[in-house]
Amino acid sequence: MKELVQLSVNGQTHDLVVRPERTLLDVLREDLGLTGSKRGCDLGACGACAVLLDGRPVSSCLTLAVEASGHEIVTVEGLARGGGLHPVQEAFVEHGAVQCGFCTPGMLITVTALLDERPEPTEAEILEALSGNLCRCTGYVKVLDAVRTAIRRMRQPGLPGSVAPEVRA
Amino acid sequence: MSDYTVVGKPLPRVDAREKVTGAAGYTADVRLPGMLRGKILRSPWPHARILNVDTSRAERLKGVHAVVTGRDTAGLRVAFVDTPRYPADEPPLALDRVRYIGDEIAAVAAVDAETAEEALRLIRVDHEELPAVFTAPDALTPGAPLVHEADYPGKTIWEDWGARGRPQSEPVPRQDNVAARTYVEFGDLGGGFAGAHHVREDRFEVAPVAHAPLEPHAAVAFWDQGGKLNMHVSSMGIFYKRFVLSKALGLPPSHVRIHKSYVGGAFGGKIDVFPYEIAAALLSRKAGRPVLIELSREESLTTTRMDFQATVRVKTGVSREGIIAAQDIQVVVDTGAYRGTGPVVIFLCYSYNIPVYRVPALRYEGLAVYTNNPVKGPKRGHGAPFIRFAVDSHMDMLAEDLGIDMVELMRRNARSQGEVMPTSGDVLRSCGLKDAIEAAARDGGWGAKRRQSHWTGSERFKRGVGLSACSMFSGSPYYPFASAAVLKLADDGGATLFAGTVEMGQGSETTLSQIAAEELGVPLSDIRIVSGDTELTPIEFGSFLSGGAFVTGKAVRLAAEDARRQLLEMAARLLEADVRDLEARDKVVSVKGAAHRRLSYGAIIAASVKQASGDPIIGKGYHKSVPDAGLHPSLSTAKGRWTEAYGFAAQLAEVEVDTWTGRVRVLRVVTYHDCGFPLNPQIVEGQIEGCVSMALGQTLQERVDLREGQVFNPDFLNYRIPITHDTPAMVSGMIHSQEPHGPFGAKEVGEGAVSGVMAAVANAVYDAAGVRITSLPIMPARVLAALDAARARGGRQEGR
Repeated sequence: MKELVQLSVNGQTHDLVVRPERTLLDVLREDLGLTGSKRGCDLGACGACAVLLDGRPVSSCLTLAVEASGHEIVTVEGLARGGGLHPVQEAFVEHGAVQCGFCTPGMLITVTALLDERPEPTEAEILEALSGNLCRCTGYVKVLDAVRTAIRRMRQPGLPGSVAPEVRA
Repeated sequence: MSDYTVVGKPLPRVDAREKVTGAAGYTADVRLPGMLRGKILRSPWPHARILNVDTSRAERLKGVHAVVTGRDTAGLRVAFVDTPRYPADEPPLALDRVRYIGDEIAAVAAVDAETAEEALRLIRVDHEELPAVFTAPDALTPGAPLVHEADYPGKTIWEDWGARGRPQSEPVPRQDNVAARTYVEFGDLGGGFAGAHHVREDRFEVAPVAHAPLEPHAAVAFWDQGGKLNMHVSSMGIFYKRFVLSKALGLPPSHVRIHKSYVGGAFGGKIDVFPYEIAAALLSRKAGRPVLIELSREESLTTTRMDFQATVRVKTGVSREGIIAAQDIQVVVDTGAYRGTGPVVIFLCYSYNIPVYRVPALRYEGLAVYTNNPVKGPKRGHGAPFIRFAVDSHMDMLAEDLGIDMVELMRRNARSQGEVMPTSGDVLRSCGLKDAIEAAARDGGWGAKRRQSHWTGSERFKRGVGLSACSMFSGSPYYPFASAAVLKLADDGGATLFAGTVEMGQGSETTLSQIAAEELGVPLSDIRIVSGDTELTPIEFGSFLSGGAFVTGKAVRLAAEDARRQLLEMAARLLEADVRDLEARDKVVSVKGAAHRRLSYGAIIAASVKQASGDPIIGKGYHKSVPDAGLHPSLSTAKGRWTEAYGFAAQLAEVEVDTWTGRVRVLRVVTYHDCGFPLNPQIVEGQIEGCVSMALGQTLQERVDLREGQVFNPDFLNYRIPITHDTPAMVSGMIHSQEPHGPFGAKEVGEGAVSGVMAAVANAVYDAAGVRITSLPIMPARVLAALDAARARGGRQEGR
């Protein structure tokens, strides 16, 4: 038995027929060709497959495609707009917070969600938000540096790399 | 150094934009028309005889396109080590036996993963379980079940390169489970110990840990019309993989092409050629369609190698002043069901230890032992973490025995520039070890904090500091022995660099591009890099044995030098000047002192095409890790040249021990790494910080929970790697020692700094709480038990 789902991904709507047990991660990667979201553990433990579901970060490997039907999904492919990188992406590039890059899409999604909800998070909130995103390469130091820079940039539009909130929406 | 405009600068990575937008392609992201999904049937038994494999029901399942078993492999055996002494021992798919839980029996390709999994359930395996052995001591007991009853010499891959083979190719019966032995002895051992002021002996244990790269292993295989095998692989060295795959499939090396994929972390765990990769190729050939095999996290954690379980015994005799007189070291590792890199790791424990302290007399024995456990392989540091944990914990204990400060004891014994390594003859042409020790101690506040466990004023929380040091090769003679690079100039004076490097997070695409840009006199943005493809790039040594920057980097510099020379020669003709009077920078060649006599690179290249028989300008460069070495130095005696340059590091850890719960919190890790010259300081820092994070996992929490051959924690919920909350303050400093053979003076940085952390933390725990933990990981239960024992005996205590 298959079900009809309507996924709005990065602003584009897709009508799909899927088996009910298929995960959002599978459908994004296999059916829509959006391979930016990574399969790291298939258990919701590593954060590499994180996407935004109505603005909240979820593990797409634990989310069924049918559950996501009718909701707004943003993947890493949808973060950059208008040819420019999102300030969080820019900060990751600038700080060398990207090494092998496999955890990076999930990290970017998590950080974006955090800063959308709390533009000025405390250090503890930053650590907590990213505690579900595993990284084996960077040792997290440069990731945390990048997040701090992104916060500064997004608070002060006009600095290089910053984007005004209305443009980002 | 200050004259450089591109190297030595913390420039952003050239691959970063692709990676932050999700555009970077990893192996499992490859999509090909008609691509099938492959799955592997694995042994649920630790040791069994395979009587028959019936695949007929699986083959009849709708959607299944191919099934392969050991019958499709022609008795093939492969292995990372495949020398006349240690011939390959691992069949990609079971022939007559399985030897560990997870051993490959059959593989299936089907239209989707679900169908492939269903097909696996339809395969019937007739078998007979055999007695198994799960620890090295048990495996060494006379009469223990033999994991391998014979060696199968056949023809080894080294014979293609001139190594002398064994005369016989019939199976050689085995008497025991010793998979490999390294033995080294030099100096007057008896005299050294007899004349020593003080002798002590200690024993250390290390639990097996997993590489756990975020990208699970994956391979895509497809065959073209000409009978050529094409693959995308999770790899650290594509030319090595191509060579072994060509052997395994009976193809000329030129009939195997590895295509570019980014690699989501490797840490040693992706250099070997794995059975699933060979299975993908066999399935694709049989099905006539592309096949993707994506291993699950559980398969990645249990069947693609892990680090060794090891026991290290160290005995040292020292003078009253703490100078080492003699040392006796024994390392025993459980190498698992196949040799894996057991023969290499027991050799490397010797080779990574010997450049740190001067030892006039030494006996070293390493044993790799077969068991019915998962197979072990190289993991970042490859032996250095556990040998350095043992030796520097032991040094800390010696320092206390002698009443000498550890920094002083290390300084008195540390090697320095110009020393020649015993047995190999390797020369330390650059060695910043003592500077690193002093810098780490200084920045870590050693003087103020050591032996001041009460400085917090708390009865419950005690703080302490500990130190350790380590060394690491910068590449070594191993297939494919050398790196080559090509730099092709474009019409506008920019250039394309062709280098076989695999970008797996270490930043090689960036640092190699920086080297080319600096040498050519163009900005980094003018260099395009083509990498990670065996067809498009010249041969490359590989990003393993820490040879990336040192070996490939040198080849790239020579290629750029060659292109620059040609450019200047052409400019000299055009400007009617002597080459020696020209200078090249910012894509312009000008005559010194006559700035108006100038030509852009673009104009020179156009002239080269028009006037010099149509030649564009292409530079070539080659380099070997050890230019004067034979092909194959000995793993069993350590004789023969090994490397041209060693990286060094010293590390200090500051910890807080909660004496109520036994929990150890690492507050700060200070690393000073002698990487020669940092080609990109930001990338060097990233490598050091990554090493420290991985090492802290191994020190405090990581352990593959293996019981009777079964892994009980094969996922990221139960095998917990460090997270943001576990991240201490890190100071990552660089010692510039200028390696004369390295590109711009650079040498190793990717591995060394993973090795000092364990001993530094263990020594800091002792400094803080007075308990000596000699078994990794340093988990709360171990600390509490040691604290209880110490209280019971009323003092500082050595625990397990």
